[in-house]
Amino acid sequence: MKTITGALRTRAGLTAAIVLAAVLLLTVIGPLLAPYNPLKYSAEILQPPSAAHWFGTDYLGRDVLSRVLAGGPRSVFTAFEAVGIGLVMGVVPGITSVYLGRVYEWITLRVMDGLIALPFLIFAIAVAALLGNAVQQAMLAVGILLAPLFYRITRAAALSHANAQYVTASQLFGASVWLVLRTHVWSKILPTLVVTTANATANGLLIVSSLTFLGVGVVPPEPTWGGIIASDLSYLSQAPYGPVFPALLIMATVGALNLLADAIRDTSGDYGRARILRKRGARRVNLA
Amino acid sequence: MTTLNVRDGAGPVAGPATAAAGAWSGPVLTAIARTVVALGRALLIAVPVLLVSTFITFMLGGLTKQDPASLVLGDSGTPADVARMREVFGLDKPLLLRYLLWLWRALHGDLGSSWFTKIPVAQSIAQRLPVSLSVAVGALLIAVVLGGVFGILAAVRQGGWLDRTVTVITSVLGTVPGFITAIALITVFSLFVPVLPSGGWVPPSAGLLKWTSFLLLPTVSLSLDAAADVARQLRTGMAGTLHENYIVGAQVRGLPGWRIVLTHALRNGAGPAVAVLGMHVPRLIGGAVIVETVFALPGIGSLTKDAALGGDVPVVQGALLVTIGLVLISSVLVNVLLVKLRPAARREI
Repeated sequence: MKTITGALRTRAGLTAAIVLAAVLLLTVIGPLLAPYNPLKYSAEILQPPSAAHWFGTDYLGRDVLSRVLAGGPRSVFTAFEAVGIGLVMGVVPGITSVYLGRVYEWITLRVMDGLIALPFLIFAIAVAALLGNAVQQAMLAVGILLAPLFYRITRAAALSHANAQYVTASQLFGASVWLVLRTHVWSKILPTLVVTTANATANGLLIVSSLTFLGVGVVPPEPTWGGIIASDLSYLSQAPYGPVFPALLIMATVGALNLLADAIRDTSGDYGRARILRKRGARRVNLA
Repeated sequence: MTTLNVRDGAGPVAGPATAAAGAWSGPVLTAIARTVVALGRALLIAVPVLLVSTFITFMLGGLTKQDPASLVLGDSGTPADVARMREVFGLDKPLLLRYLLWLWRALHGDLGSSWFTKIPVAQSIAQRLPVSLSVAVGALLIAVVLGGVFGILAAVRQGGWLDRTVTVITSVLGTVPGFITAIALITVFSLFVPVLPSGGWVPPSAGLLKWTSFLLLPTVSLSLDAAADVARQLRTGMAGTLHENYIVGAQVRGLPGWRIVLTHALRNGAGPAVAVLGMHVPRLIGGAVIVETVFALPGIGSLTKDAALGGDVPVVQGALLVTIGLVLISSVLVNVLLVKLRPAARREI
């Protein structure tokens, strides 16, 4: 918790948090706010943005704002699902690889290397399509492919702290592996983990929007942010503003996540704390 | 392999190896040996990776609920027909055996043939490989040049307007999905200022200029993400390096500034950028599916996508295998390059 409140005190962190909160709110209650039926055709096709249609209408005369709002949950929560899967499948082997012996360590290392070698998008598309065209399956694939990211950073952190002298000391005093994990290792991993989770969520959003853009994992009339961009692609010459609003929404969300990750990285850990202290005009503290 | 180095320093050691080494000058031999060792290490790591990733790829086919036998035969097939068809496809054997057989044949260039069109997978991939490779290599070159130039300039002019502009642009580019970059480029260069084609593909034999004009927008839109990352990493890496004591030492010795930046600082500061570039290679090869779709390029990405949506398992597996192979080759090369740049990196692989 402390890692996040620290980041909120910086201007960039606060801005990012506000944008993210707004996007989340829109995602949760957005479908209720939609002014029109997102699936209903009308004669007013390819309208520019106006008072009646804030984001304009698409090639079938559907209200783009309503479609963007209705497509929110599909576009955002699926990314969370993927990151959640990746988090569990990366963190657990990442920490245990340090403790459960060399054979287990070697196997997890090689499996993670193998996962890294898989081309992200194509693999996700293949899994989604072959296992029945559904976005849940695609997210399972994306989550598995995100796992090496979490594995690497938790393993590196666990490795550097598991053999630190103060950990050895506490073990000599009789601390169990579980206690060392819970108190020493976990608190050191947490800031890095939060940063990586934010970055991975940004990546997840980009991947979900790319998949839905390609039409993988969704059934056509159902709106998603990527799908809205794809549907108006053939009419760029008549309505070049078509993809602008969903694109801006994706970019704002991804940008806010990256910004938040940077703010957390800057304010947590020794380096960040030293910088904050310096900014407040305090004397330079030697934290080494 | 380290015995070579030991012998170089340990003076006369009896045996034919020393006699052969004597004919070469020591440093050259050591350099060659080091490269070979680095290559060998990288390859040793690549083999288990290849096995794991290809096994996962093969398992995709095992996981799918679609049965090619009943797919091909349709509703009219009797159970006996289905069983015969399964035998033709080799589906009656256990999964692990099928994997080993598939890998063995694949290593000999036989990837099987499509369940639907019966066209050999290797043939359809060979047709599309030049398209994917030229886009990926072009994007890699653009990423290296753009990222390199702007990363170095930003590091040299730390805190200046150029540095800040590069930082802002790279941060913004990191948030843009690839397909939006592609659409934006099409809107600008094909609709507003119609100078470049909005999609399609011509082989280089149709004229180099024409080939380049069709290739330019896809490669640029694929490369921007990687270029931004390279610039960012290079700036960070070199900014730190430029404050090192040996840089001050080089300045004191009176070396020209561009030489200090391009040889001393670049070599030591480029490590993270090269590593990031290596991480981008799978995305340049695999992520090209977006660019291939938007620009209607007949590449491996669109082949995989269409085959996956149609349920054509052998094509998906073959295309993924080739992609994995390309990724592994490039990661071996990147690792060797990293070791050459900074010998201490050998321990980090």
